[in-house]
Amino acid sequence: MTRFDGKSGKVSGSMKNSFLLLPPRPVYPVTESGTDDRSADAGKQADMPSSSKENPPYPNAPRLTLVTSTAPDNQRTSNGQSDWSALMAKAQDGDRDAYRSLLKQIEPYVRSIAVRCFNRPADAEDVVQDVLLTVHAIRNTYDPKRPFGPWLVAVANRRIIDRLRRHTRQKAREIELSAEHETFADAPANLDSTTSVELALVGAIDKLPPDQREAIRMLKLNEMSLKEASQASGRSIAALKVATHRAIKNLRHLLKGKPW
Amino acid sequence: MVRNTSDLIDALADSVTPVRHLYPPFLRAALWLSLAAIVLALLCLANGGVRADISIRLQQPAFVVSMIGALATAILAAMASFKLSLPDSSRWWLLLPFPALAVWVSTIGYGCLTNWVRMDPEGIHMGEAARCFATLLLTSVPLSIAMLIMLRHAALLRPTAVAAIGGLAIAATTAFALSLIHDLDATIMILLWNLGTAALIAGLASVFGRPTLAWIAARVSPALPQQLSGRRD
Repeated sequence: MTRFDGKSGKVSGSMKNSFLLLPPRPVYPVTESGTDDRSADAGKQADMPSSSKENPPYPNAPRLTLVTSTAPDNQRTSNGQSDWSALMAKAQDGDRDAYRSLLKQIEPYVRSIAVRCFNRPADAEDVVQDVLLTVHAIRNTYDPKRPFGPWLVAVANRRIIDRLRRHTRQKAREIELSAEHETFADAPANLDSTTSVELALVGAIDKLPPDQREAIRMLKLNEMSLKEASQASGRSIAALKVATHRAIKNLRHLLKGKPW
Repeated sequence: MVRNTSDLIDALADSVTPVRHLYPPFLRAALWLSLAAIVLALLCLANGGVRADISIRLQQPAFVVSMIGALATAILAAMASFKLSLPDSSRWWLLLPFPALAVWVSTIGYGCLTNWVRMDPEGIHMGEAARCFATLLLTSVPLSIAMLIMLRHAALLRPTAVAAIGGLAIAATTAFALSLIHDLDATIMILLWNLGTAALIAGLASVFGRPTLAWIAARVSPALPQQLSGRRD
């Protein structure tokens, strides 16, 4: 599996025994001010003889400067794998930026392997995360003298096989619920009782006066402390306590007599 | 709890710490075999030397071939298990100890066929069996613990294969120790102790290898950051 990133011109993935022709990059003459002279006549350039330092053929022509990549050393290689190997070697030494860069680069590659084995995107994403966690857990087993690609593919394959086996075991034991498994024709009748309790509570909170509703949301639903809630709302702690007390009393009143 | 992959990448990158590279697999296998040699030497010391009839036994080709077979199985199985524990190694390494295993097993089978092993009830004497059991435990338990710790990273890769082949290495070492220290060769006990023990250890390793490796890996060196350690199912 080989991946070519057209934007950066980098190749990643398994390059063993394969040759890849990279598209030649256009070279534009650069003026002394550093701006590209892209409107230069192509025909004129083609007629240019080979340049000589002693006797420049076109003394008035803008001076050509060799433009080099400003990418860091570890990203300048044409082979993606040596990129990854270098990044992994740095990650093994504790370089966080190199490690982040490596994980971000291998993530789409691992996903491309995962989506071939799993139909559901959520399963594929689980596998991607599982592979990244495994790479992290066993990063000390990678030998920087060896290519990184086969190591990564082997780890990904092991995790994918493991997950596929687990899926097969689960499928053998579990049955997916379908419409026929519904007990009642009326949809709300099939809802879990906790759901209806939650719905009733949310409805009752909405009916509270605004100051009490705000106090309940901050102190009970968002689990803020009295001090935090006081800072967030600009109300005193005593006022919040009173509002909460009244809100609970009102809620008790509103929810009284509800069938659970 | 991490919700999406980019959050996970950030969490992993933030928690990265320098790690020490693993030594080459064969060097680690050699370390484990050195430990096995130390355990054997200590057992011999505790037992007051090797078996009394070792000089006579060493003149019998069947005994020598059997001992060499067991030793070669232990060495090759240890090499295979350490090699297999790495993700990018071929699974064909699994076959490495099988020629030596075949020699070892066939020597014992040959002994049975030629009446070298006595199959009658007189061939069983229980007094020696108790000491054999002590040797078995004292050899296999420390070597199993050492191997589980050394191969803990295989818990996420090939746990069953690594545990089974590692179990074979431990079983062959134990059988070698039993043959070296106790004089059980001319009885049916050799079948019980050598092959029975080998089958038991390798069987236990392949059945319980996966959960045990995972348990050891989680306790000896928790490799995942704490906030992510509950993620793996």
